[in-house]
Amino acid sequence: MNKDKKPLLEVKDLTTYFHTEDGLVKAVDGISYEVFPGETLGIVGESGCGKSVNALSIMRLLESNADVGGSISFEGQSLPELSERQMRGIRGNDIAMIFQEPMTALNPVFTVGDQIEEAVILHQKKSRDEAHQMAIEMLRKVGIPEPTKRVDEYPHELSGGMRQRAMIAMALSCNPRVLIADEPTTALDVTIQAQILELMKSLQDEYGMSIVMITHDLGVIAEVADRVVVMYAGKVVEYTDALTLFKNPKHPYTWGLLNAIPRLDIEQESLYNIPGVVPDPLHFPKGCKFNTRCSFCGEKCKQEEPELIEVEENHFVRCFFIEKVEKEKAKTKAGENL
Amino acid sequence: MTNQKDKGILLEVKDMVKYFPIRAGVFKRVVAHVKAVDGINFKVFKGETFGLVGESGCGKTTAGMTLMRLYQATGGSVNFKGHGDLLQLKGTALRNMRKDIQMIFQDPYSSLNPRMRVKNIIAEGIKTHNLAKGSEVNDKVADLMTKVGLSVDHMYRFPHEFSGGQRQRIGVARALAVNPDLVVCDEAVSALDVSIQAQVINLLNDIQEEFGLTYIFIAHDLAVVKHISDRIAVMYLGKIVEMTDKYSLFDNPMHPYTKALISAIPIPDPTHDKKRVILEGDVPSPINPPSGCRFHTRCPIAQDICSKEEPLFEEKADGHFVACHFVK
Repeated sequence: MNKDKKPLLEVKDLTTYFHTEDGLVKAVDGISYEVFPGETLGIVGESGCGKSVNALSIMRLLESNADVGGSISFEGQSLPELSERQMRGIRGNDIAMIFQEPMTALNPVFTVGDQIEEAVILHQKKSRDEAHQMAIEMLRKVGIPEPTKRVDEYPHELSGGMRQRAMIAMALSCNPRVLIADEPTTALDVTIQAQILELMKSLQDEYGMSIVMITHDLGVIAEVADRVVVMYAGKVVEYTDALTLFKNPKHPYTWGLLNAIPRLDIEQESLYNIPGVVPDPLHFPKGCKFNTRCSFCGEKCKQEEPELIEVEENHFVRCFFIEKVEKEKAKTKAGENL
Repeated sequence: MTNQKDKGILLEVKDMVKYFPIRAGVFKRVVAHVKAVDGINFKVFKGETFGLVGESGCGKTTAGMTLMRLYQATGGSVNFKGHGDLLQLKGTALRNMRKDIQMIFQDPYSSLNPRMRVKNIIAEGIKTHNLAKGSEVNDKVADLMTKVGLSVDHMYRFPHEFSGGQRQRIGVARALAVNPDLVVCDEAVSALDVSIQAQVINLLNDIQEEFGLTYIFIAHDLAVVKHISDRIAVMYLGKIVEMTDKYSLFDNPMHPYTKALISAIPIPDPTHDKKRVILEGDVPSPINPPSGCRFHTRCPIAQDICSKEEPLFEEKADGHFVACHFVK
């Protein structure tokens, strides 16, 4: 993937283990990916696959029972090695994050303006007045009507969509290089989601930042992502550009997932059934973690774990039997996606 | 999903209204109403799946709860085959009606009693309505559990021992236990992960065929509703704005809100041509809905008449009902 370009953020063999009373939970188990300047990287997976923990590991926002290993480098700096003070200089300034639930992510006892100003004053050494003007400007940019009035309102006075806009305003107020968006539109209605996605795209064009879009919604991924990481049970199972992923998925999980979603654009007789449930992180199966639910599973899958291999240029897949998936695809191709 | 019109009407909702009073002050006087459902009309044919979609706050859940008599309706009537007007039923008649209409709820965590074993959860309806006696009850529960894809060995477990998808299966088994004619599914798959959602949707389709069920499927996800429904009604702020069979709705949406709603849904195909209608602003408050057409504040084609006169909900094409001044 743009191998000549230098990545802005590089995650290598990242592991995040939680020590819990019940045992060791391997929430993220050796994932690697790059984020290039100005691109949108999508990270997709079902609940419990480790996609959010991955983001919190980068931002160093995890609790003390988390054990983070591997390397995370941002513009050549190794984030895990920075002091808490240095990290504070990066958080919100170079790498900003927006969360799923804007009601819980915003502080209910401060006005929206206060919360935007806080970051501006801390990172950009602006005076309170200047910061206030900037907050109004940011709110206007994210499409909040009457920003001079809204800036002094509390989060509960805003609607869900407005709160998410306010959070984006806060995240972008310091002009970050990377914006990590963790399910930013999941709690919103579709018409509001469309507004927010549109807004994020136009702000990306304006500021040229990179976006890491974490979501479970393959539709959102298709809409915004340039390249996609598919996660399952703490591992990357497929990693390629968006077009290849949707047109030529190679991992049985990706393929199954794409056929399991009801679609507006095509007529489906029935939905593909991925049997069973996501395995319990305390008791992952031996071998390939997807083997308990995979319809292409062979003996080998139950014994050893496949590596993430580059099967075609810039197309990484973690599976022993991609040719079985190809055969199945050819069979169902007649009806175009089942 | 066959041609259901010849099979007859199972349920007919006429001008159903549900207002929730807002009380304030020392004497708890009613100062205003939340007009959650404000006069909706629809028919459900036997054996079909009727989808009710809309964004949060549009009244779709209230509509389901009201016709189930879980809320007391403010006005209107609901005719259910063999029971007369559901909204007027009392006592034994009301109780008997519940045998014929069942509900599957959104949240598989809060809709099952955590202190009851799965067997008792499923058997409760069977016992209440005297549908089986003694050991027959157990046989029936075991049979239902197998049908919805649960292991019979888990009969004596508690809900917390199951995953979200399995719990939703318990909810399905509970609804099926009394042999209902109509099942109201309120966001039955919204809380589930994609792969689990597909499992439950397939299950709902299979049992519909097997038990000859009619569904009212309430959801916000248009793609899911399209997959499962035969006919669909789109709600906005307590009103139905468009109602037709699913093919006309998606191939030829007429109401500007439906058009915007459909175009807002991200399609999982990066090459998909996106012609998007972005709606401005948020859904207005149902306490004080806009005058005239309720959608006029966000409508891209609104004219003067829209803020003054409420459009009629009319049949604009065969079986295609729309409430808009500018749809011919």
